[in-house]
Amino acid sequence: MKAGPGKSVLAARKAASLAIAVAAIAALWSAAAAALGKPFLPGPSATFAAFGRLAADGSLGRHAAASAGRVLWALAASFFPAAALGLAAGRSRRVDAVVAPVVYVLHPLPKVAFLPIIMLVFGLGEASKIILVALIVFSQILVAARDAARRIPRPLVDSVRSLGASRLGLALRVVVPSALPDLLTSLRVSLGTAVAVLFLAETFATETGLGYLIVDAWARVAYAEMYAGIVALSLLGLGFFVAVDLAERLLCPWRDLEG
Amino acid sequence: MVELRKLTIDYPGGSSPGWSGRLGRPERRVPAVADVSAVFASGAISAIVGPSGCGKSSLVGAMAGLLAPSSGEALIDGEPVRGVRQRTAVIFQDYGLLPWLTVEGNAELPLAVRGAGRAERRRRVRPILRELGLSSFGGFYPSRLSGGMKQRVAIARALASEPDLLLMDEPFSSLDALTREAAQESLLEVRRSRPMTIVVVTHSIEEAAYLAEAVFVMGGRNPGSVEARFDIPENSAGSRFAPGACDFRSAPRYLELCGAIRSALRGSGPTDDSAAAGPATGTAEALG
Repeated sequence: MKAGPGKSVLAARKAASLAIAVAAIAALWSAAAAALGKPFLPGPSATFAAFGRLAADGSLGRHAAASAGRVLWALAASFFPAAALGLAAGRSRRVDAVVAPVVYVLHPLPKVAFLPIIMLVFGLGEASKIILVALIVFSQILVAARDAARRIPRPLVDSVRSLGASRLGLALRVVVPSALPDLLTSLRVSLGTAVAVLFLAETFATETGLGYLIVDAWARVAYAEMYAGIVALSLLGLGFFVAVDLAERLLCPWRDLEG
Repeated sequence: MVELRKLTIDYPGGSSPGWSGRLGRPERRVPAVADVSAVFASGAISAIVGPSGCGKSSLVGAMAGLLAPSSGEALIDGEPVRGVRQRTAVIFQDYGLLPWLTVEGNAELPLAVRGAGRAERRRRVRPILRELGLSSFGGFYPSRLSGGMKQRVAIARALASEPDLLLMDEPFSSLDALTREAAQESLLEVRRSRPMTIVVVTHSIEEAAYLAEAVFVMGGRNPGSVEARFDIPENSAGSRFAPGACDFRSAPRYLELCGAIRSALRGSGPTDDSAAAGPATGTAEALG
């Protein structure tokens, strides 16, 4: 319970350091663009002009929405089953006997390499893109959930068991809240991977999504637009990151206070 | 009354007593305690004292219904313990408070587990928090509390289930000396207003001698067993709470008891056999 600077001061400091970081990147970027003098590295001003143009005609929003939608569908399809299965495996030897081999086989596989197979099986449409992203999120959340469930301190479990809690009660009152911070951390990590993989998935057989926007601009030698697409994809990743942060603050208020 | 009848507990090898742990191989079993018989009187505070690893916590696990004995049985009011019992409350060494619940949430947990509504939980828990001086901390998370306060929250949680039996496993061991004494006093205060049976497991001789009417000394390791019993009538509710009762800790009899328990703990001394027969009183007279 140290008396530190107030919340608003901390927020202002955070905003200031973020602004400084952005300014530093922009300065380096301009310097590199000026020094190189090549069309494939436009400066920030040209890029943001293109960004503004694409945003104004609505295409940037459309592509960003398509990409975000794919990630969200993938997330919706994979997060809850992976978390439930992982937590169950971490707490029950019987479930783990089934899940562990799957984890050891599935997790280390570079799932991106399965894109061709997924496309052959699920077609060239939306389903393939969503399934690829979902697969990656699934395996990362599964592993994190299993580890988190194993790490739950036994005294916590015993103390709630001693109150007569059922297995379901234990799961809801101890296992889930105890693993939640770890789940959100792994979600943050896997969303980063998801956005990267999405780019790859969107370079095939689609005309929507930021991945498509980038590759299409590249093909048209519209470098400023290509960079605008990259900036938009980064912003999408940042948006997910911040969203998970906010979710953590809402769902795990006790974490704010821990060292 | 709580009775242990030839209780033997063993657990899967390679891990500590597996109340909820599911790891470890089932084939090799390590004995924790063997053939323990003891009676903990109703409405009294009893202490089980012994070195680490003698199986004290396993006894708590068996009485709490968290741990099934391999043979023998634990009985509460004549009923064999089979699983968790509503009116038994357990306080664990590190209090077992859930970090994601506030003080109030933790204290209400036994009622929440039983499905009590929010209003009823509040109604029953608020007076307990007040009694333990926690009223203004209801919204705090445990990570912001001192050790002594966490301990009081654990007691509040135990009281919320209106127990007739309170089991405490090293409840004060992570507190500093002064906080520990304050916690002991607050336990006695709680006991004073509620006629429950309390069994305290501790490795502190002084704590056992100060709190308990009956001290059971355990020894041995894998398996451990009860080696001696000391009766301390001065610690009975009647004597302790009598008007004009002085601090037992400053009485010569207290120091002498501590010495006797210590000798019993050291094992095969001459005190051992006589201790079992309740020699403390005799020696006290000789010395006094």
